[in-house]
Amino acid sequence: MTDIDHRKILAERLSTQLGRRTLLKGMGAGIVAAGVSGIPGVARAQQSGHIKIASVKVIDTLDPHFTGFLSAIQIINNIHNGLLKITYDGETVRFEPDLAETWDLEDDKTHLFKLRDGVKFHDGTPCDAEAVKFSLLRVRDGKPTSPHAWKLSLLDEIEIVDPLTVRLKFSKPYAFLPVALNGSTGRAGTIVSPAAVEKYGTEYGRNPVGTGPFKFVSWKENDAIELEANPDYFEPGLPKLERATFVLMREASTALAALFSGQIDGMTDCPMQLVDQVAAFPEAELYGAIEGNYTFVGMNCRRAPFDDMNLRRAVAWALDRETLVKQAYFGKAQQAYTPISPPMSGFFDPNIAESGRGQWFDLVKAKEFRSKAANQGEVEVNYIMAERGPVGTRIAQTVAPMLEQIGIKVNLELIEPAAWVSRRNSGEFDLYDFEWVADLDPDETIYPEFKSDGAWNFCGWKNTDFDDYCAKAQVVLDVAERRKLYYAAEDLLMDEAPIAVMAHMPIYKVFSKKVQGFNYIPADLVNLHTVSLA
Amino acid sequence: MLLHALARIGQTLAVLFVVSVASFGLLKLAPGDPVQIMLGSEYSPEAYESLVAEMGLDQPFLVQYAHWALNFVQGDWGTSFVAHTDIFTHAFKEALPVTLTLASFSLAFAILIGVPLGVLSAVKKDTAFDAGAAVFALTGTAFPSFLLGILLIWFFGVKLGLFPVMGYVSPWQDFWTGIYHIILPSLTLSTYFIAMITRLTRATLIEVLEQPYIAAARARGEPNWRVIWVHGVRNIAMPLVTILGLQLGVLLQGTVLTETVFNLPGIGQMLTSAVLGREYAVVQAGVMMTATLFIGVNLLVDLSYPLLDPRLRDRK
Repeated sequence: MTDIDHRKILAERLSTQLGRRTLLKGMGAGIVAAGVSGIPGVARAQQSGHIKIASVKVIDTLDPHFTGFLSAIQIINNIHNGLLKITYDGETVRFEPDLAETWDLEDDKTHLFKLRDGVKFHDGTPCDAEAVKFSLLRVRDGKPTSPHAWKLSLLDEIEIVDPLTVRLKFSKPYAFLPVALNGSTGRAGTIVSPAAVEKYGTEYGRNPVGTGPFKFVSWKENDAIELEANPDYFEPGLPKLERATFVLMREASTALAALFSGQIDGMTDCPMQLVDQVAAFPEAELYGAIEGNYTFVGMNCRRAPFDDMNLRRAVAWALDRETLVKQAYFGKAQQAYTPISPPMSGFFDPNIAESGRGQWFDLVKAKEFRSKAANQGEVEVNYIMAERGPVGTRIAQTVAPMLEQIGIKVNLELIEPAAWVSRRNSGEFDLYDFEWVADLDPDETIYPEFKSDGAWNFCGWKNTDFDDYCAKAQVVLDVAERRKLYYAAEDLLMDEAPIAVMAHMPIYKVFSKKVQGFNYIPADLVNLHTVSLA
Repeated sequence: MLLHALARIGQTLAVLFVVSVASFGLLKLAPGDPVQIMLGSEYSPEAYESLVAEMGLDQPFLVQYAHWALNFVQGDWGTSFVAHTDIFTHAFKEALPVTLTLASFSLAFAILIGVPLGVLSAVKKDTAFDAGAAVFALTGTAFPSFLLGILLIWFFGVKLGLFPVMGYVSPWQDFWTGIYHIILPSLTLSTYFIAMITRLTRATLIEVLEQPYIAAARARGEPNWRVIWVHGVRNIAMPLVTILGLQLGVLLQGTVLTETVFNLPGIGQMLTSAVLGREYAVVQAGVMMTATLFIGVNLLVDLSYPLLDPRLRDRK
């Protein structure tokens, strides 16, 4: 961050605000004095095309196969490519070949990828079929186990046809494959340099080497991650920027101040409470839409009182989503009826509000279910909340009085985020709220989350019919038929109500007006490939 | 004298030992699991088990502590779970200088502003100036530093565009840019101390000015400035140094918030993310450094008394 040219910004600001004479009189001495000492960093900042973006969330590692965080993927995706990539034309999310030049389905279980010729990793080694095989095996079988290994568990065989052709054979037709193999949210299909993995071992996440438009330069703890352009990038004319710095900032309001004062050019994430402020600032451009996510209040089906399905249903129908959207999401979110969310083209029903499917607010119905519940006395439950996620404790505080109306007394328990995760994972709660984010396929949006005895099924709900529908849908490639199966699974989920689904959230990014050519994709990505600075 | 020094060193080591056990134990007792945090929400039980074993978290508490402590005293501070970076390099070579710079600039501000303000208040006792300074001092002590920091950022950084709102440049490498970056954070952190020193200086000086030697100096016809700044103010040194030594803890605590608000990569930010991520070894490194610093400074305070007060020198 030495290369932020504050003096230039300062001089410009002062000259517009105070007029030139005052500037020379008042601040001239300081500027000259500072100039004399010769700051190498400032000279660098004078070069065109150095973007500085605040990254306000935790980044764990830049190893695509091991990160659990979207904030990390935002950067990883500028360094690496996947076999496939996500594209968005403003309406439809698509999966297209990226490192692969062509992608053919030989039969419903066999996929043939022809790779681009001449693509090299940043360390100069070729990105060929061997490298693809290496990366996929690293995810599937590597030690330590990749958190994304499950995405390739159906992958039986990787055959190297020739140095640029690879054939993947799966044990079953695999509908989730396009998501699994893309270099972004899927992570499993991101191709890493085998030579670099060998060289750095577990340190790869601090020394990533990919084929992407930017090369990794440095990562200074709690300070910044620096990238520089890869002049040999395979997409002609890209990237347009010379350098990119992700400034690691924990405090979003400081990042916003830095943006407004011109010290940074953007934020990888703009919290909802700051959106109105940003929209009112003429020099900033907001990018965002409802993304592939859903938020919910989860109920613990393993223990009383929410082992009672009717009580859960009462909760599901008692939540006034409109109020929740206003109170917890500052009116920015969209009411959810079921988990499948708008960017899942082919699966999301734009008319879901009229379809009669899912859950919504109906106090009469809620009271009806409440009267069928086993416990007719006052039910007292605990609700774990933490200052975490996009909404902090706002949902919990809005939900509590709503449940009071159906005779459920909610004790809000505020705990520290790490403790909250522990409590949620070990099932020590009655209620909690959470969000599953950046999903582009119905499979990843409901199956691992609610599979009976699944690791992420924190509510402990069990329904074998649900499992069957999802398992079947996984191996059906026809969209209409898959959709039918997922609707059936969702209907079960919504009816038995281990969760009360609330909203689909918009995810915002903000850039200064100087930043041009940013291609927004509703999967929380910050791809700088096409970005340039005016 | 040697015996005294040895006893002090022994005491220091004992305190550091207790501190290290306490912080290690407390963090282990706190609910929360570093592996769960590292993996986010989407992971398999196998990935979890594999990581727990890799990080040595399946060992009993005492084994983990002994392992850490033995390595620590030998200079191996371990590597962090998430970053895989060498903790000694990160904590001692990168983060500590940032915090020390911030703390020393804040102290300098506090003394340079607080002492004159206190002296003027004492001299102009019961005037409008004194009342104004008292109001300022009270407000300063009461103002939370994170709020003040954000206000300063918005006013000086965004409205006026005078100062950078974030980032750190070492003043030891690039003096002017460094100063430029450290002014707002130092001001934020020093407000409390400015207020405290103002009040302390005022109270002490009012008392001093009633002493016979002040009357004697005046009787000798010495000019007023000399009476106050030479005979009077030097008497503030002792209480000032004592209080600063004792309040160092508050200062270090303040760096946590200030560093977060101004995005400075110091010990405070390091500790915050380490505690939230349950990075045991990083927390230990931070705690040990701050504890040593605290003890060291108070030792210096003790040793400085004879220098500040000639009467204490005579006792030897």
